[in-house]
Amino acid sequence: MKNETHLSVITANDLLSGEVVYLTASGEWSPEHSNAILFDEAVMANARLVGVQSSDNSIVGAYLAGATQGINLAPSPVHFREIFRTKGPSNRALGKQTQSV
Amino acid sequence: MYNYTNFDKEFVAERAVQFRDQVQRRIDGSLTEDEFRPLRLMNGLYMLLHAYMLRVAIPYGTLSGTQMRTLADVADTWDKGYAHFSTRQNVQFHWPQLQDVPNILEALAAVDMHAIQTSGSCIRSVTADHFAGVAADEFEDPRPTAEFVRQWSTDHPEFAFLPRKFKFAVTGSENDRAVTKFHDIGLRLVRNATGAPGYEVSVGGGLGRTPMIGKVLRKFLPRADLLPYMESILQVYNQIGRRDNKYKARIKITLHEHGIEDIRRRVEEIFSFQRTRFDGVDQDIFSRIQDDFEAPLYKQASTDEYAKARESNPLFRSFTDTNVHAHKNSDFAIVTVSLKAHGATPGDASSAQMRVLADIAEKWSLDELRVSHEQNIILPHVHKGDLPVVYNALQAAKLATANIGLISDVIACPGLDYCDLATARSINVAQGIATRFDELKLEHDIGHVKVKISGCINACGHHHVGHIGILGLEKSGIESYQITLGGDGTETAAIGKIIGPGFKADEIIPAVERLITAYLELRLDASETFLITFRRLGPSPFKAALYPAKEKYHAA
Amino acid sequence: MPLENPIPSISERVVELNNRYRNDETTGVLRDILGDPLFGPIALVSSFGAEAVVLLHMISEIDRSTPIIFIDTEMLFPQTLDYQRKLAEDLGLSDVRRITPSREAIFLRDPDNLMHLADRDSCCALRKAEPLEKALAGFDVWISGRKRFQGGVRVKLVLFENEDDTRIKINPLAHWSRKDVADYIEANNLPRHPLVEKGYPSIGCEPCTTQVSSGEEERAGRWRGDEKTECGIHFSNSVRLMPDANIIVTDDGFASDDWNRGYSSFEGIEAETKTQNAALAIDLQNDFDAATILPWMDQIDLIRIDFPVFSDGRGFSLAQRLRLLGYHGRLRARGHVLADQYAMARRSGFDEVEIDQKLAARQPEPQWMARADWQARSYQQRLQQSA
Repeated sequence: MKNETHLSVITANDLLSGEVVYLTASGEWSPEHSNAILFDEAVMANARLVGVQSSDNSIVGAYLAGATQGINLAPSPVHFREIFRTKGPSNRALGKQTQSV
Repeated sequence: MYNYTNFDKEFVAERAVQFRDQVQRRIDGSLTEDEFRPLRLMNGLYMLLHAYMLRVAIPYGTLSGTQMRTLADVADTWDKGYAHFSTRQNVQFHWPQLQDVPNILEALAAVDMHAIQTSGSCIRSVTADHFAGVAADEFEDPRPTAEFVRQWSTDHPEFAFLPRKFKFAVTGSENDRAVTKFHDIGLRLVRNATGAPGYEVSVGGGLGRTPMIGKVLRKFLPRADLLPYMESILQVYNQIGRRDNKYKARIKITLHEHGIEDIRRRVEEIFSFQRTRFDGVDQDIFSRIQDDFEAPLYKQASTDEYAKARESNPLFRSFTDTNVHAHKNSDFAIVTVSLKAHGATPGDASSAQMRVLADIAEKWSLDELRVSHEQNIILPHVHKGDLPVVYNALQAAKLATANIGLISDVIACPGLDYCDLATARSINVAQGIATRFDELKLEHDIGHVKVKISGCINACGHHHVGHIGILGLEKSGIESYQITLGGDGTETAAIGKIIGPGFKADEIIPAVERLITAYLELRLDASETFLITFRRLGPSPFKAALYPAKEKYHAA
Repeated sequence: MPLENPIPSISERVVELNNRYRNDETTGVLRDILGDPLFGPIALVSSFGAEAVVLLHMISEIDRSTPIIFIDTEMLFPQTLDYQRKLAEDLGLSDVRRITPSREAIFLRDPDNLMHLADRDSCCALRKAEPLEKALAGFDVWISGRKRFQGGVRVKLVLFENEDDTRIKINPLAHWSRKDVADYIEANNLPRHPLVEKGYPSIGCEPCTTQVSSGEEERAGRWRGDEKTECGIHFSNSVRLMPDANIIVTDDGFASDDWNRGYSSFEGIEAETKTQNAALAIDLQNDFDAATILPWMDQIDLIRIDFPVFSDGRGFSLAQRLRLLGYHGRLRARGHVLADQYAMARRSGFDEVEIDQKLAARQPEPQWMARADWQARSYQQRLQQSA
């Protein structure tokens, strides 16, 4: 069993649009948290993070954010800050919350 | 108002061109993100939680109808139809895209506006009393000095990469509405014994993690020495300010660690050299700036309509009781337009509201508006006879909330709804307080009280100087709110005291309600404000109200 | 208002990686990194020298198709080339890329193959550093076999290094001892480079490698008789040993340094002023107390102020102080200064800026020339002096 507390995703903001994005298994960036690749080892997550920080010019401010595995196996955010980032501001209907289906 | 010279116009236009180039070089890889970040920050562009944020300077909070209308156009063209007026008299757009920002800066430059030095480790956009030039209690307009400092600090080659940000505020009144004691440098206009104009210079004030009240470095600085003296302070700070720890990098810590005597000695030593750099032409420029701020010609007309409306319309009467302040010219009024309608986001205005404000300013306020650090908009020159018609126009745009200085006139930073540094939300707390006391219909009875909310320790919501301050923090994975009491950002400056443990999000509004209920019981009469009552009684009775269960337990 | 959250830098992340892997098995580290397709393209750079077989063997056990870059400077010992072919075959390495210097560059710069006699740094740059740089394009990570026990600047070696914010360099054997290496080779029964038994514990190009006697550091035979200890493909204390000279930026554009009489530290200034009446240049750190230089002010021809990182603005104030104290000689900003700061540097009193080749490549001359108009639109100039 993997230690749940070590699950994480790599997230950043898109250089051009500023939108919140997540690193996917194919190395692309997706606006959907559920598409993120879930790392179960902090070491690997950190190593991968150094990689994107040093070589990916299309994003800004990449960092590791704690995550968990939902029922459909897709990652979902844990901390309230990261939950806000998947939605948008709570005082106005703007951002991702207006885009999701 | 200050009229841009050709020099100013060329400067802001060129700066927009430079930024377009920098954005291009960021995209093509010539600049790394680490290198680009300070350059974009110096042009007001942040990356926040959900998107970029562009902070546009409104130097000393003064702008024209045309400028306000341009801000509305920016909101519609490149953002999401609204703007947020900040606690540093600036305006923020929360959704621009990187490649649109050069276009925005170009549009702003066309109306003599910019986003220069609204961020970054440099001298920031200068703030001043929002009633500057019109307040009845003022003896000299601080804005010529603020504009003078703006020009000197703009693109200053030595001070673009300081240890940390550096903020100036200027006031020309005994009543300090510019929070000067909590700025890196606070300038108070004074006269010496012979009547010569000059400044009392306070240094090392600030809020944030370590709130400190500024200390007087020079009791009287002759006007002609202002720039070389400021240059000397900044040079000392740039050389000895700490760069190893960002929480210890502000000049307040430098002052604290070295002591004011040591700093004064260093500054005076450098000053003797710096003084020689200025041959006096700066004073000619100062005079020209001063001419631009000459009081306008005030019309003479009847104020009968004002008296009539007060008598016939209780809503108008209530509005003028709270939102109107005494003007130098007794036929005129200073009108504060509240951006705090009950339940609204403090400081937000829609593009439609901004256009209404622009129209009203052009018609009835000599084409001038102000932004206050309390996140409201001010119409500084409204003839009393025009007040009823101005009131009606405001009401039609939902801008006539009569709550200035009351409990729902809350200052709140954007908090975790937008800001990537925030540890908790603040807007929802402000909304909750305003909505609750509106339901109770108590706020006019409660009277003057300043509630200030920050969503993190950096204190953009000025919670340390709120009569009631609320600081949002994260505690064990949830939002938690800590209350401070007795803060004061005016000439009787005081830092609020932490009263006890924090409250969960659903506990904070009832806690504030208990606090206010206690105050209503404790005050001598309706004229004793919350702050005065707190100063008379100290924290104990308020603490008892905030933590009733605990007190009972101890009493048992 | 908020400062933006400082993004954890690559160097901070590298520090974190080093802490995490401090006690891990070397093969574990390699397996982790090579085993994850997400880690981005990785190459092993191997000299096929005296101890190279250790890493080559480990890699072959994990993934034989890992790209292996072998720089053939065309000055190597023939034994090295033989050894390279043998090892590739024995270990089943399927992607060994032999990289040679470009024909054109050799033709232009070293047609007689004698550059190593005159200028070893330039020779290393031409035959090793430049070809490697090209070969590494497209790789996010590279693995090197350097070890601390090899001495010199390598004693401070760490597991993960941040290479100019563009690539990560991993030194899986950093903490290995000489005995560890010997044990590993013996335990796995690996073939040694034929020159090892002839007294060459470290093997580079033939003209610049000599035998080492007992008691000497392992790399003592490299570039013997020269202060040089590294070829330039590795950093030492995060300063790249640049084979090529820095570039001087002035209002006229890029140029090479016309000052060839050396630089002294401030500590040595007293001695310098006594012994030489000729020209004097000194290096200053940006926290230097300007007033202490007053007694020597008139004897200094050139002052260089260090800019360790562009966001540290102390150098601008130091320059201004020196000018106000009456220094009239040449004043130069050296280090990490951006093209966007050129106007600031000139206005603060600097005459010129000195940058390395790498920065110059990223921010070429036109980007600097765009701010050669530094005298235009200066509010300060306008406020200080009547036109």
